[in-house]
Amino acid sequence: MKILVCLKQVPHKDARLELAPDGKWIADANIKFEINDYDNYALEEALRIKDKDPATEVVVVSIGPDRVQQSLRTALGMGADRAIQIWDDGLAGADSLAIAKSLAAVARAEKVDLVLMGLMSDDTNFALTGPMLAALLGVPHATGIVSEKNEGGQLEVERELEGGALEVVKLPLPCLLTAQTGMNEVRYASLKGIMQAKKKPLDKKSLGDLGLSAGAVASKVKIEKIYTPPKGQGAEILSGSKDEVAQKFVGKVKELGLL
Amino acid sequence: MAKTLIVGEIQKGQLREATLELVTLARKLGGEVASLIIGSGVGAVAEELAKKGGGKVLLADDATLANYNLDGWERAIKKAIDAEKPELILISSTPIGWDVAGALAAALDCGIASEVIKIEPDGVDLVFVRRMFNAKFDARLRVSGTPRIATVQPGASEAYSGSESGSVVKLDGVGGAARTKFVEIRVAPAGGHDLTKAEIIVSGGRGLQKPENFEAVLKPLVEALGAQMGASRPVVDAGWLPHEYQVGSSGQIVSPKLYVAVGISGAIQHLVGMKNSNFIIAINKDADAPIFEVADVGIVGDLFEVVPALAAAVKAAKG
Repeated sequence: MKILVCLKQVPHKDARLELAPDGKWIADANIKFEINDYDNYALEEALRIKDKDPATEVVVVSIGPDRVQQSLRTALGMGADRAIQIWDDGLAGADSLAIAKSLAAVARAEKVDLVLMGLMSDDTNFALTGPMLAALLGVPHATGIVSEKNEGGQLEVERELEGGALEVVKLPLPCLLTAQTGMNEVRYASLKGIMQAKKKPLDKKSLGDLGLSAGAVASKVKIEKIYTPPKGQGAEILSGSKDEVAQKFVGKVKELGLL
Repeated sequence: MAKTLIVGEIQKGQLREATLELVTLARKLGGEVASLIIGSGVGAVAEELAKKGGGKVLLADDATLANYNLDGWERAIKKAIDAEKPELILISSTPIGWDVAGALAAALDCGIASEVIKIEPDGVDLVFVRRMFNAKFDARLRVSGTPRIATVQPGASEAYSGSESGSVVKLDGVGGAARTKFVEIRVAPAGGHDLTKAEIIVSGGRGLQKPENFEAVLKPLVEALGAQMGASRPVVDAGWLPHEYQVGSSGQIVSPKLYVAVGISGAIQHLVGMKNSNFIIAINKDADAPIFEVADVGIVGDLFEVVPALAAAVKAAKG
C-alpha cells in the first residue's frame, strides 16, 4: 500500500502571534513553526499501518517555502520514506481549493492508495482541503476520524460526531481520511530515525513540475483583513497581590452563595 | 442579494436548531430563500421548516438517505442547486458540514468561506467574517464567482422564529448508490464522571503543562470548592485525563453555577461546552486569551502561583 500524508507547517502553539503590517496575515518572519497538530495524528496513523505491513510506503508532502523542509525532515525521522516539498511564488496566499489542486497533482503522479491528513489546520481553521482533495481525486472520504482498521481491503473508520458520539463508516480503497486530534499517540523521532532521515529523499517541486499553471490554481477566496476581535465587555479583571486576588475570588464565590 | 439555498440538517429526528439560524442569516441578507431537507421519511420536518422558516423547502426523501452519506448528500444538494440556481449556499459547520461542504465546492469549482460567524453585505458583494488562529484573530474574507458556499458556526445567529407559509416541493431522482457505507452510530458508554449536574466545575487546560499538575495544583482548588474537575480537549487528546472529563462540543456541555477555567485559552470547541455557565472565572497568563471574552471575572497571572493562593483562601474562608 502507498500512503500520501499531507502535512501543513503552522506557527508553534506557544508562538506569540502579531499581525503583519499589511493586516492580511500574521508577522511570520521570526516565529517558530511546527507540524500542524491534526496532521501529526494522520502521520502517526500512516506509520502504524507501515509498522503492521512494512511493504507500505509512506510519502509526506508539504506546501510552503523552504522552512517546511524542517517539518518534512521531522516526518522522515519519525519513519516516513520520502518527502515532497511543493513551492512556487504562485502559491503565496493560495486558498484551500488551490492547495487541494496542487496536492491532487502529487497524489495522481504518485498513484497512492490512501491519503491521510488532519481535519483542519491550527492557523486558518478552514477544514476544507481534505474533502476538496478527495473530490478532485474522485475518491470517497471520511472527515474527523478517531480510528481506522482494514477489513478485507475496506477501511472501517469511526468519525467523531458531537457529544461523544461516533459514526462508523466503511470506505473502499483508494480513499482519503482526515484525522481528529487524539486519534492515537504520536511517536517522537528517534535519534537513529533522525540520522536516517538525512539520507532519505526530499524532492522540491514547482507548479510547473506538477503540470499546473499559476492560472489553474488562482484563488477564489481572499483574506481581506485579519484583526484582533473587537473586545466585548470582557471579564472584570481582579487586580492586586496574589493574596488580594484570592480574597476577591472568595468574595465572588460567596456572592454566588457557593461558600 | 438574489437567492440563498440553505442546506438543512436533522438531528435525532428533529429539525436542527442550526438550520433555523441559517434562515435568520439568509433573511437578513434579503432576497429569496430556499431550503433543502435530506433524509428518509422526513416530510414532516420539511413541513416544519416551511412553517418556521418560510420560502420554498425542497425535500430530498429517499430510503438511501436514511443516514448521512457523502454521495447521497452531494447528489441531493446538486439537484437543489440545479433547481434553484442560488448565488449563495449556506451549510452548518457540523460533522456533516465538514464532510460535504469542501467536496461540494471542489466538485462545483466554486469559492467557499468556512466556519463563518457573520456575513455582511458590502454594496453588491458580501464579506464573510470568521475566526482564525483558534479564535485569536478574526478575518474578513472575499469570495469571488457564483455560486458561493459558506459554512456557518452553530450558535452564530439566533434561530429564526417566524410564523410563515412556505411550501414543500419534492425533488426527484435523489436516491442512488453510495461509496461510503454507514455502519452504525456508537455512543460512548456513559462514564462515571457526569459534569452536567455539577454545581461547580474547575477545568484545567494545556496551561497546567503536565498531567501530574492536575493532582498537585488543580485538585486542591477543586476539593476546597467542593467542585468537579473538568478539562479542555488538548488535555484529553494528550491522554492526561480520560474523555469523560472533557468539556466542549465533542465532550460534555455544562452549565454549572460556577465554572472556573484554569490555563484554558478558550478555543471555540471549549467555549461551546461551557459558555452557558451561570458564572465564569478564568485564570490565564495571556490577557488576550479568548476565554476572557466569555468570562465574568478574570485573573491574569501565573496559574502556578494564583491557584494555590485561591485554594488556601477558600479553605480559610470555610474555617
